[in-house]
Amino acid sequence: MEYRIDTQGERAVIKIQGVLTFDDHEKFKGVVKSITGDDAKQIEINLAETKMIDSAGIGMLLLANDKAKKVGKTVQLSGVTGHVAKVVELSKVDQLIPII
Amino acid sequence: MEDPLYDAEMQHSDDSRILVVDDLRSSRMLIGAVLAAAGFSNIEYASDGVEAMAKIRESSPDLLVLDIMMPNMDGFEVCRRVRTDLGLDIPILVQSGIQEAEERVRVFDEGATDLVSKPINASELISRVRVHVEHRRLLSSLRQYQSRMEEELRTAEAMQISLLKTDEEASAITNPRGAKIVSHYQPSNKLGGDLWQIFPIDEDRFGLLEVDLSGHGVTAAINAFRLHMLIESLTEDRDNPAKWLGDLASNLYKILPVEHFATAFYAVFDKRTQMLEFASGAAPAPVVLRQNGEHEALDASGMLLGCSDDTVYEARSVQLNEGDRVLLYSDALVEDFKDMDKSLSEDDVAEISKKILAGRDITDFPARIIEKVFEDPSEIMRDDLTIILMEVS
Repeated sequence: MEYRIDTQGERAVIKIQGVLTFDDHEKFKGVVKSITGDDAKQIEINLAETKMIDSAGIGMLLLANDKAKKVGKTVQLSGVTGHVAKVVELSKVDQLIPII
Repeated sequence: MEDPLYDAEMQHSDDSRILVVDDLRSSRMLIGAVLAAAGFSNIEYASDGVEAMAKIRESSPDLLVLDIMMPNMDGFEVCRRVRTDLGLDIPILVQSGIQEAEERVRVFDEGATDLVSKPINASELISRVRVHVEHRRLLSSLRQYQSRMEEELRTAEAMQISLLKTDEEASAITNPRGAKIVSHYQPSNKLGGDLWQIFPIDEDRFGLLEVDLSGHGVTAAINAFRLHMLIESLTEDRDNPAKWLGDLASNLYKILPVEHFATAFYAVFDKRTQMLEFASGAAPAPVVLRQNGEHEALDASGMLLGCSDDTVYEARSVQLNEGDRVLLYSDALVEDFKDMDKSLSEDDVAEISKKILAGRDITDFPARIIEKVFEDPSEIMRDDLTIILMEVS
């Protein structure tokens, strides 16, 4: 996976590109770090360019959500389509992280 | 582990076995004296290749200091035989007066590790011997560590597999309760996070559970052990899939770290009504293969287990009839991360299964579907694979 972060004031958009799987665990730590470290209070994780996600990838999103909550921030998912949408629908992740 | 002070102490004394091979007695003595002065206390000598090979065969030294030009058997031949005939990877430090570049290259081609020029420079010789002896020591300690780890992983794998029911044990529960079961489980990278279980509920009913913990390897396997204990301890409401799965989810929420979770499918079969009542948390959709050739995928959507302590699961059911089959599988059977277009849909799984099962009994089904789905057998190891096929009898 690759990711890009655009921060505008209170809001940060994190675009995840490629696949989000077990092998991206190390890289995703960077995402989590910027979520907790940056000034932005509202985080949008954009999955429009995420081609595929596995159970570990879902776990990473849950982890990001949890870490954000602990420092009083909110996480939302956006651009949920294709394979990602299928996995999200099956696992009801939307009940844990709001989808916009 | 070795004492960290070990190296420092060894500056003064090193009992690595060093075999010095040279046809000139004066050269042997010179090299021996230099090494002894540097603290090497376990030095042996050979005066030609033949004697050297005999000593190496008897017991492999930790390092060879080898001359090239010798009667009977030269240094090139010794290198070759040590590497090819004996298959040893001990460091060979060649000391030679050869100046021509081509010949020096040949020394390495024959299997030498390093080269020191004659006449011997004492400090260069000591430095090189130390480097290679240390390198070998590290390598052998790494190898020991690796083989111990592999051994432990094998033990853990055996323990994990012992948690699962064999087909015989499963059949002893399901046969009297109106169903046959065949299963297959294969962990990825030696250890996995898949787990399935069957328990008798009463004379007519049994429960069938399939769980896939996120991740794989050691962490997932440890969680699988904890999950197993949890499953065994949740003896209430086993006849109520939605309630029981909710209890399992709340308990998993307490023990799993936030980024870990599980998918699960739990069903109760009643032989009196041939009804399969089930609840699911994001499991791959089981496929019902009807006796008349039709098929349907069960709705297996539902909240992941272990993410929240108040998850409510929907109670669902499907009416089965004699001869109908239900296929449960972990996502490893259908997901293809290299090429997502190749991932199998529930319909694909059903069609493949129907072909395999046409006119046959279910005994060798797991082996046959694996053979069909995985063209490249190494692909199977990517994730834990569980396949369970149940037939209403």
